[in-house]
Amino acid sequence: MSSTNTFSYPNIIKGYLITMILDFSIDLLHSGLGNLAAYLAAHVLLCLLPAFLIAGAMTALIPKETITRFLGRSTPKIISYPASAAAGFLLAVCSCTVIPLFAGIYKKGAGLGPAITFLFVAPAVNILALSYTGTVIGFDLAIARFVLSISFGFGIGILMAFIFHKDDAEHDQATDAMFAGQASMRRPVVIFLLLLVALLVVGTFQIDFLKQTIFQINLPFNSINHYEEFLFKLVPFDPTKGEEGVTAQGTLLIFMLILIGISSWKGIESIFDGFNTWTWISVTLVGLTLLIASIIINPHVGGLNILFPGKFFGVLLINLLLGWMLKTQLTEDESRDFLWESWRFVKQIFPLLVVGVFVVGMIRVLIRPEWIQSIAGSNTILGNFVGVVFGVFMYFPTLVEVPIAQMFLNLGMHRGPLLAYLISDPELSLQSILITISIIGRLKTWVYVGWVALFSTLAGLIYGAWVNGASLGLVSLYLLTILAIFSLSLWLINRQNFSKKIMVQ
Amino acid sequence: MLSIKILGSGCPNCKKLEQITHNVIEQLGVQAEVIKVTDPTKFAEYGAMATPGLVINEKLCCSGRIPSPTEINSYITSALS
Repeated sequence: MSSTNTFSYPNIIKGYLITMILDFSIDLLHSGLGNLAAYLAAHVLLCLLPAFLIAGAMTALIPKETITRFLGRSTPKIISYPASAAAGFLLAVCSCTVIPLFAGIYKKGAGLGPAITFLFVAPAVNILALSYTGTVIGFDLAIARFVLSISFGFGIGILMAFIFHKDDAEHDQATDAMFAGQASMRRPVVIFLLLLVALLVVGTFQIDFLKQTIFQINLPFNSINHYEEFLFKLVPFDPTKGEEGVTAQGTLLIFMLILIGISSWKGIESIFDGFNTWTWISVTLVGLTLLIASIIINPHVGGLNILFPGKFFGVLLINLLLGWMLKTQLTEDESRDFLWESWRFVKQIFPLLVVGVFVVGMIRVLIRPEWIQSIAGSNTILGNFVGVVFGVFMYFPTLVEVPIAQMFLNLGMHRGPLLAYLISDPELSLQSILITISIIGRLKTWVYVGWVALFSTLAGLIYGAWVNGASLGLVSLYLLTILAIFSLSLWLINRQNFSKKIMVQ
Repeated sequence: MLSIKILGSGCPNCKKLEQITHNVIEQLGVQAEVIKVTDPTKFAEYGAMATPGLVINEKLCCSGRIPSPTEINSYITSALS
């Protein structure tokens, strides 16, 4: 009794508060680390590793001229709009390409409309974001993001061209020289790119044939089982909340990732001085990691069960072909550029993604599901709009929007508003708005921002209705209403300045 | 004296190109002034539609990729002759 008397009442409260804050911070840290480990082990590898390679190959191996020659001033609009969307998908994997290409198309090429289509499509449908969205959240959402972004990209481009067609006609009459270049891709390069895409498809798509176990082996290592139990204790998880634990295989993959990082740093960072042994070690490690990620390791009491699904053999075959092509079929310049660009994307995006996933894991503890559910739990106009506003005002590094979206999904956000958020977030940020202003001016930029906000909301609404099981009729009614608003505004604008017209075919 | 411009908004590739260019200049021992152009509206004026871009004596030599040291070397030697 006497010992408690030595504490004064406020001191007890202070002590209690300190333990509470400590407990709370440990909770936060735990959640952050758990999220990070689970992401590195489970999602990232089979989809992001090939996606980074594809992004690198597209940047390094597709000559810009194959597409930009369709973006000149003399090209009919019916070709230049789809070509802009294709350029957004194939050429613009990073902002280094988006801004100069956008300025080029606008100032010297096909004009404001196709330039805007390009600007809208590029961040929304790049290969990294799509494959990541597909594996983490679901392929339905990735496909919706792809289809709606491209069709609305056309819409916004055409609208902007109509609204500002006077300015566009007065634009400097440049020659088409910049867009005259012709280039074709060598056949081995095309095959190499297709093989990379096949690697992504085999690794990520849930095709029954690929999931079937071809054979399995049992190894008598029972310590792995204890190791995994220890991991589950270290990173506790609750599957009902959508959390994932870290497995023994997961830690092996994390270890491989670290090795890839080290060997790439030694072998690819200095690749412009020539290839060295580390370069090939790094390439081999990437292949091995993909193979490890494609098998299923089940530790159980008394042993270790390793399953080899069809996927494993697919990945093995494609890996061997890719390695052979890289060494013998591509020129040294091509191989070097491909490895460098892939590594550059990893260097540029991966560290921020790691930090992002960690922070998302921490924030997750702080957000009450009720908040999300009351605002965006169902497919309402307000819910979709809130998704868009959040996307515009919050700036997250490339790809971090995906774990954030998954967090919202697990907290009860409807898939409609989720898509609205996913479309608007990479599309608009304060930074990108400022750069766009410097190229096309303030008025055009804000009109564009308005259209993007409106269209992202609509995209969410339409997709949300689809998810809710709306009949095809209702969804098409939505689309028709939008088209009607489109045509009405076009008609109004046309009436105002019918003196001079640029026909959009 | 050569005027060399590196077009790029500050992405890693532009820095790499700048570094390689400096190395080549040093090796060749030529006098050159290297300027970084970061304003995206200027890129189109040189006809570059992707960064990084290398401009030697106001002429665009290559854009959208990092040229190898040998390639830069030949651009510089042909600009000098």
